[in-house]
Amino acid sequence: MTAQASPGKSRASFARRYRLFPVFRHVMLIFWASIVLFPIFWMVATSFKDSGEWVSWPPHWLPEDPTMLNYRQIFAFTASGFDEKLSREATEQAFSIWSSLRDSAVIASVSSLVSLLLGTFLAYSISRFGVGGKNFRYMILTIRMVPPIVIAIPIVMYYAILVPYATELLFSVRVSMFDTYTGLGLLYMATTLPFVIWMMLSFIDEVPYTLEHAARVMGAGRIYTLRRVVIPLVAPGMVVTFLFIFILNWSEFLLALTLTQPKVSTMPVLLNKFQSAVEGRLYGPQAAIGTVITIPVVILGVLIQKHLITGFSFGTIRK
Amino acid sequence: MAEAGRKRSAQRRGISSWLAQERVFRLIPFIMVEGLFLLLLATPFVLTVYISLLKWRANRPFEMAYFHGLGNYARVLSDTDFWWALGRTFYFAAVAVSLELLIGFFLAMLAYRQFRGRRFYITIFLIPMMVVPVVVGYNFSMIYVDSGPLNQILAPFLELFGFNPRIRWLSYPAAAQWAVILSDVWQWTSLTFLIFLSGFTALPQQLTNAARILGASRWQIFWRVHLPLLKPAIVIAVVIRSMEALKLFDQAVLLTFGGPGTATETIAFFLWRQVWQFNKYSFGAAASVVLLVLFSGLIFYGIHLLVRERAIVQEEQPL
Repeated sequence: MTAQASPGKSRASFARRYRLFPVFRHVMLIFWASIVLFPIFWMVATSFKDSGEWVSWPPHWLPEDPTMLNYRQIFAFTASGFDEKLSREATEQAFSIWSSLRDSAVIASVSSLVSLLLGTFLAYSISRFGVGGKNFRYMILTIRMVPPIVIAIPIVMYYAILVPYATELLFSVRVSMFDTYTGLGLLYMATTLPFVIWMMLSFIDEVPYTLEHAARVMGAGRIYTLRRVVIPLVAPGMVVTFLFIFILNWSEFLLALTLTQPKVSTMPVLLNKFQSAVEGRLYGPQAAIGTVITIPVVILGVLIQKHLITGFSFGTIRK
Repeated sequence: MAEAGRKRSAQRRGISSWLAQERVFRLIPFIMVEGLFLLLLATPFVLTVYISLLKWRANRPFEMAYFHGLGNYARVLSDTDFWWALGRTFYFAAVAVSLELLIGFFLAMLAYRQFRGRRFYITIFLIPMMVVPVVVGYNFSMIYVDSGPLNQILAPFLELFGFNPRIRWLSYPAAAQWAVILSDVWQWTSLTFLIFLSGFTALPQQLTNAARILGASRWQIFWRVHLPLLKPAIVIAVVIRSMEALKLFDQAVLLTFGGPGTATETIAFFLWRQVWQFNKYSFGAAASVVLLVLFSGLIFYGIHLLVRERAIVQEEQPL
């Protein structure tokens, strides 16, 4: 605020810079803002274009003949109930995003919720009792840093070989975890737990221990204290953490691509399916799918934006 | 567990009082989380080490695989494509992360002081982080299309020099590599911006004022006061972003599918292709073991850096 007003020396060049700096700042910031917004704008614009405008030259900046057809196509019910009138050509594949939307929503929300609960309790134990040793809170981050492909290859063999063998041996039923909600959901829990623990640690560390101590002295049980004293104080933090890992799970691609299909498929995998069809790419419906996946997450993200830094600062930046 | 304690039956009360004991209570979440990790990450990994010693491709049943010794490891280590993919991944990560750091730092420097429209800019700058990576890949593939907006913007210049403006960017190796890098920069500059922004806002005002009173120029204040104070933020940004950039997969699949040729094949994509397209399971298992060994050094070094910065900050805290 006061940094530009250097006291003492008043030089002509400085006065000029003082006046020009805000202009320069706005120019730079607007430039970057337009770079940031352009791809999103282009996607939304494409989602309202009809097939003739998708790849026309010169490209149309705005849809000249806005249509809802792309959205009506992707929201059309299952393959069998596909409305022929929505198809542009006879060869066009029938598709619908409903089942993927359901898969994504169920897997992302359930696994985020479970890992939030587990992670919060573990963060509490780490913060209050120092469970797992002094450096446990850092060591847990290693899991997050391992490239997912290194996890995916073992997991696919595990789900496809060891789990069926083991269940057949123990319960004499072949259970495959491949291509199921449980299989993918469990893995999402394992990969997001480090983030939950980290974010919740930074919230729980701020709850003064004296409060809990007072409750304990007055005769409250340990679980009662946790439920009535600690949880209400960190509830906002839990909401932020939940939304954050929900976004992570919602956009996860590699594990979903390798561990599901054909029965279960999440939204990113569905979008990829359209992309791989090189011939006759359906740009419009793809853009519509992209918009549908992106908009809710961006809104969630803008809501928790203020708190996001807590999850990323890794405790090294002072507020 | 917490709910069980509230039930009135005598047997339940016995269990709940056992659970509420100090030494038991603190370990419950730890055991659950560690159990999940053990079951879901450690066991598959042991299985992978075993499979990496077999000769097995998915075209044969698993029972017919036979022991192969260290043959797979020898094949991985002598596979030039593997090393090229690894080198390419490091090249992408280095270029992308340094661009992200520079742009993020510059933007944070412009935006950290109060001025009109600051919140608006920050909100916009943070949006890319929340966009699903698959959608980013899709968006950029639309922009690079031969009749896309990029060529439209460049058209006046290109026509001036007599080029056909409808360039197929993604069929040139160098251009495709830059496309992948730029899409990464577009998405993750928001994260470095966020980290640096919180670092800048946390700068203590007294130190800046003291330096100014002592007669330091703006340049000196920046290099001698601000930059050392920002070191934790810089370390965090470098560690987190490098770790994430080395996982690059989503954009490489959506934007270029590793092409043209193998120009944008990152290590994650290379392994995915070996296992899921060529069904070389035991090769993939050996490669993922090798990769984990190579990465674990990096991961521990990164964690070490984070821990060190954190320790420094904690020592300074009572200031």
